Amino acid sequence: MDKKILIVEDDPNISNIIKMNLTLVHYQTEQVYDGMAALEMLERERFDLIILDVMIPKLDGFTLMEKIRPKNIPVIFLTAKTAVFEKVNGLKLGADDYMVKPFDGIELLARIETVLRRYGKEDAEISIDDVRVFPDKRLITLKGEPVELTPKEFDLLVVLIINKNIALSREQFLDKVWGIDYYGDTRTVDMHIKSLRKKLGFQDRIKTIFKIGYRLED
Amino acid sequence: MKFWLKIFTFSIVIFILIFNATSFIVIERNHSKMLNREINNALSQNMNIHSSVNAIVPIVLIYDSEEYEEKVLANIAKGFVGKVGDQGVYMTITNDKGKTVYNNTDFEMPVDRNELEQVKEDEIKYILWDIGNRTILFTSNLVKINRKDYTFTYMKDITSVYKEHADQYLFYLKVDVIACSAYMLIMFFVSRRLTIPIYRLNRTAQFIAAGAFSERAESRSKDEIGVLANNFNVMASVVEDKIKDLERLNREKQLFIDNFTHELKTPLTSIIGYANILRTAKIDPSQLLEGLNVILSEGKRLESLSLKLMDLIMLEGSEFPLKELDFCSILAEIMPVLEMKASEKQMTINMHCENARLRLEKDLIKALIFNFVDNSIKASSENQNITIRAFRQGVNYVLEIEDEGVGIESEHLDRIFEPFYMTDKARSRNNNGAGLGLSICKSIASLHNAAIGVRSEPDRGTTFIITFKPGGTTI
Repeated sequence: MDKKILIVEDDPNISNIIKMNLTLVHYQTEQVYDGMAALEMLERERFDLIILDVMIPKLDGFTLMEKIRPKNIPVIFLTAKTAVFEKVNGLKLGADDYMVKPFDGIELLARIETVLRRYGKEDAEISIDDVRVFPDKRLITLKGEPVELTPKEFDLLVVLIINKNIALSREQFLDKVWGIDYYGDTRTVDMHIKSLRKKLGFQDRIKTIFKIGYRLED
Repeated sequence: MKFWLKIFTFSIVIFILIFNATSFIVIERNHSKMLNREINNALSQNMNIHSSVNAIVPIVLIYDSEEYEEKVLANIAKGFVGKVGDQGVYMTITNDKGKTVYNNTDFEMPVDRNELEQVKEDEIKYILWDIGNRTILFTSNLVKINRKDYTFTYMKDITSVYKEHADQYLFYLKVDVIACSAYMLIMFFVSRRLTIPIYRLNRTAQFIAAGAFSERAESRSKDEIGVLANNFNVMASVVEDKIKDLERLNREKQLFIDNFTHELKTPLTSIIGYANILRTAKIDPSQLLEGLNVILSEGKRLESLSLKLMDLIMLEGSEFPLKELDFCSILAEIMPVLEMKASEKQMTINMHCENARLRLEKDLIKALIFNFVDNSIKASSENQNITIRAFRQGVNYVLEIEDEGVGIESEHLDRIFEPFYMTDKARSRNNNGAGLGLSICKSIASLHNAAIGVRSEPDRGTTFIITFKPGGTTI
């Protein structure tokens, strides 16, 4: 999981927090604080995704988006405004998604994942210890031998991997794996986690975080 | 009914009524005059006959012969009828036995001649008879000759008078048609022409109603419609100005809200983001410290933003009682605070104050001075100086705050008093600035009827000049 993401955000604190979130799940990041610097950086290096604030100095986000369109790099843009027109404008210019400040780090990661998958940039294979995950084939092997997982167990494992090193609450797991319409008990999550730990030998990898939920750790 | 059509219809109706009535009266009067003249002529002719007969009576009496009598009378009749000479003059003489002595008529006499029953001696009666398609005037009188009554009837064909009458009506009808058509044509254009300005005005009003507020009516004429158009334009201008004002206010408000949203959401994003990541992620102690620092500093920024914003809201539209106070003593009171603030950057504040009593609100003036000095300190580097000067200048009283800092680019000078406007975002952020200080100063100055000026040169420093004007707060 070493995708490279460019963070274009003029507020250093917000930039840092995005970086921290992305680093936790093993994305590589570069930070720039204005539009011109972003343009230069994009000339020099190749990125898999750009997180772009609209209101940045020197060259605003919309103009920058216009200029980098030929590179066909997915863009998620950040805005403080909730004005519909700005969202429409951004999406029309080729942004793949947008987030309104203040935003949730987990939500940002989910959107990055979605956008990358849409661009076919998701990993064909993810390895953790002896476990190898093939998301396309919905296949999991342990020491080369396929492991039988229920569909929900598989989805739960993928969510854990996407949010590696970040704890999610049982409600968040329910939301992401079973869908918002599911009115099940949070104990459903506990059952599945227990089963995953057992099947994959992840007793130490999947940590129970007191008063929060579960976290997959390296 | 359209207005032009009303003008048109009413004038046409009135014209037709008056024109026709006048013509009718004239024709009828003309006709009756001519008829009277004919009647009078006929009557006087009859009188002449009567006189002639009377003159002959003595001679007739001498002869006393009925035959002779009749012959003489016929001769007189011939003489008169012949004397008049023209066609259309007729005469009959009948005696009381019904015998016709003379008759040159070429038409059937009416049978029922009742006028003769009442006719007396020395009296002439007349009557009009329509015979065939002719109109004949009959004048009759009775003459007693030799104890015998003779009825003399002198007749005149006056068909021409009636024909003339009819001709006049016919002629009048032609004139009437032509005059009315011409009048209608003229009135059509006149009424259209008169109402065109109204239609134009109407169209302009519709344009304005549809949102084209800069549209104006044409007003070339000086009549009531011209005056109306002028007043209409005046009204439209007032409305347009008002709307522009409202639009400007709305834009300013929108800008304020946009900026406010941005200033509010940026620290919130950091605080929420860090708090959440510290709560959920597997992090090391240095990351924990970094996150907590950010949460603290962004929290402070929010606090400063909310305090300043409250100041600004409080200043908007409020009235403060102004008291007469010594300006220099206020300055002296706030100096320790300013010096403490300046000492953080090892800066010096120089003060020169020429005393004056002004009508002021003490706390607000302190806030004004503090905000300007704070602004100057933020713009300065370490060891630089700030100079505060207060002095009389003619009728005005002037406060100047001068620094040696980074200065302001001329492109920003117009906008620095706008809420949330920052010339250097990064520097303002580092100083916990929200971009509201100078807006607050501007509000305070306007409460004291003071003007704010600014003089600045990049890298050389900035001077803010606050001018208290007489009539406002100076005494």
